[in-house]
Amino acid sequence: MKGRYDDENLKWIPILIIAVYLSPFLLKSATFSYKYYLYILNMAGIYMILTVGLDLLSGFTGLMSLGHAAFLAIGAYTSAILVDQAGLPFELSLIITPVIVGLCGLMIGFPALRIEGMYLGLTTMGFGFIVKRLIIAFRDWTGGSAGLQVSKATLFGFTISNDWNNYFMIYTFAIIAIIVARRIVKSKLGRVFMAIRDSEQAAQASGINIAKYKMLSFFISGMFAGFAGVLFAHTNHFISTDHFDILLSVYFIVMVLVGGVGSIYGAVLGTLFIVLMENMFIPLFKDTLTQYMHLEAGDFQAFIFGLIMLLFIIFQPMGLYGMWLKMRIYWKLFPFNPRKRFT
Amino acid sequence: MTSLFTDINQEIVSGIALGSIYALIALGFTLIYKATEVVNFAQGEVMMVGAYVNFFFVTQFSGMAGGLNGWVFTAALLGSIIFALLFGIILDYIINRPLKDEPVFSIIMATISLAIILRSLTAMIAGPISLVPVSPFGNNTIKAGGVVISVLDLAIIICAFILMALFFFFFNKTRWGIAMKATSADAEAAQLMGIPVKKVYRYVWMFATLVGVISGVLLAPRMALLDTTMAYLGLKAFPAAILGGFGSIPGAIIGGILMGVIETVSMGTLSFHFNWVKEINDIIVWIVLIVVLMIRPDGLFGIAKVKRV
Repeated sequence: MKGRYDDENLKWIPILIIAVYLSPFLLKSATFSYKYYLYILNMAGIYMILTVGLDLLSGFTGLMSLGHAAFLAIGAYTSAILVDQAGLPFELSLIITPVIVGLCGLMIGFPALRIEGMYLGLTTMGFGFIVKRLIIAFRDWTGGSAGLQVSKATLFGFTISNDWNNYFMIYTFAIIAIIVARRIVKSKLGRVFMAIRDSEQAAQASGINIAKYKMLSFFISGMFAGFAGVLFAHTNHFISTDHFDILLSVYFIVMVLVGGVGSIYGAVLGTLFIVLMENMFIPLFKDTLTQYMHLEAGDFQAFIFGLIMLLFIIFQPMGLYGMWLKMRIYWKLFPFNPRKRFT
Repeated sequence: MTSLFTDINQEIVSGIALGSIYALIALGFTLIYKATEVVNFAQGEVMMVGAYVNFFFVTQFSGMAGGLNGWVFTAALLGSIIFALLFGIILDYIINRPLKDEPVFSIIMATISLAIILRSLTAMIAGPISLVPVSPFGNNTIKAGGVVISVLDLAIIICAFILMALFFFFFNKTRWGIAMKATSADAEAAQLMGIPVKKVYRYVWMFATLVGVISGVLLAPRMALLDTTMAYLGLKAFPAAILGGFGSIPGAIIGGILMGVIETVSMGTLSFHFNWVKEINDIIVWIVLIVVLMIRPDGLFGIAKVKRV
């Protein structure tokens, strides 16, 4: 549906993409510590790929997952083992690993056929614990709790060595992932997912094979997470089970929720917001506050994080993207602002 | 085979004690879920806050009384109970009222964020030092038939069963209990029948925080050191509550005890004799949970809901 209230405004997309590629140059000319900011942006880019996939699963199909850090972990470890120990090229690992992680997604998707709502959330959470423990158990391959060194990525002969190069690789893949996710959402598949979310019984009555599409949703979401995992392993150069804590899964859900459930751009915005807030704005506050209060390093961060999350859920359930949509409609209709439209 | 099972009695008894703690926490989940269909991920944190508050009262009162005695513990317990009731009202206002009509997804995230807030706030106020709580029962133990159990563990088990019986009676026999059941079935219809739904919600949250705080008070001396990691026990009580079936009070108790026994036995005897169990003994509860849910999606005692379009 193309129209006044359509949420897609295609003419801005190329400008945004150019802005993404130009921003490191701007950062470099603006600050000396641009490498640190690039590192944070890289992390946001990797998480973006994952949260877009998570949004397809949780936002569009309505299957809650509190175990996506586990998918990220499987992707990272699989790629590290494939490239460093089996000797596969990085390009091949980029294709094989997401498929393997997608199959793991099918594995957890299978019990999900019968379990729903919060039971599913807890099952996936349990899956997260189990994966973390299994990684330690297979210590011959994964290095156990000591962690694993990972080689640098080599893409078509170029070695991607520093944060500057990582940025371009990660954001190229992130843009591709976002476009793919948009295409999925706009296609028949996306509408099937939304039908399952809105009413399983009604979808079944309309002739949708629920089991098939639920599994497919887990598979696709797992593939996105596996892709993010490959990039995570080969840009971080070191992975251990501490990177894939249960709290990270919660953070991913928060990113989707803050951005706005059920919109791809929302997931992207939410990821950027949370990662930037956690790494840049809160440390700024903290320095001024520590002069007055006795604070532990992590506690204050967690406190602000929890507070923002709670306020968002209570006052802005539509998320950042919903806020943006409301603002846009508000300005378009400026002199005639029917208040009821915005509640 | 005698060597394999020499200590199994002792392990089952300690498992029941550990399981009773899970059961107490699970009871808190169950109460809230039964009446409001909200899943409270912050129950472990409520327990932790209760333990801290009780510790605060004990130190304050013992300073006033000039030493530790029975009265100090009683007074501290009363203080904690009053705190729990007030805390329940506050949580009802923060979490339950604004989110009544939101999807499950948002409510779970809201309680998780509440959990994060409570944990970090407690850590900020209490500081990074672990506290050493004192048990009101000392270090006394009871020996019966070759099995040793501490008085504290016995108190936890008895308390779990008393609370279960109390709430079971309350939900099935009293007017308010039936009102709560009606509210959980259909809040709108309940309101039309003249049930004060808001009041029902408030009472439920008060009860649940009360159970949480009491379990925190009982559990703190068992932990030897009191710090914010105590809240993670709440995460372990989740599989227990689900195993029994959310929303079933006997289910919460039985599921809790079952999980406690499984955990202790797998950590003790089974790990000792089978090497591979050693690798997985801290996630065994989750494996059991997933297997059970695949066979019975609503837990052992849960009742499947009829879905309508």
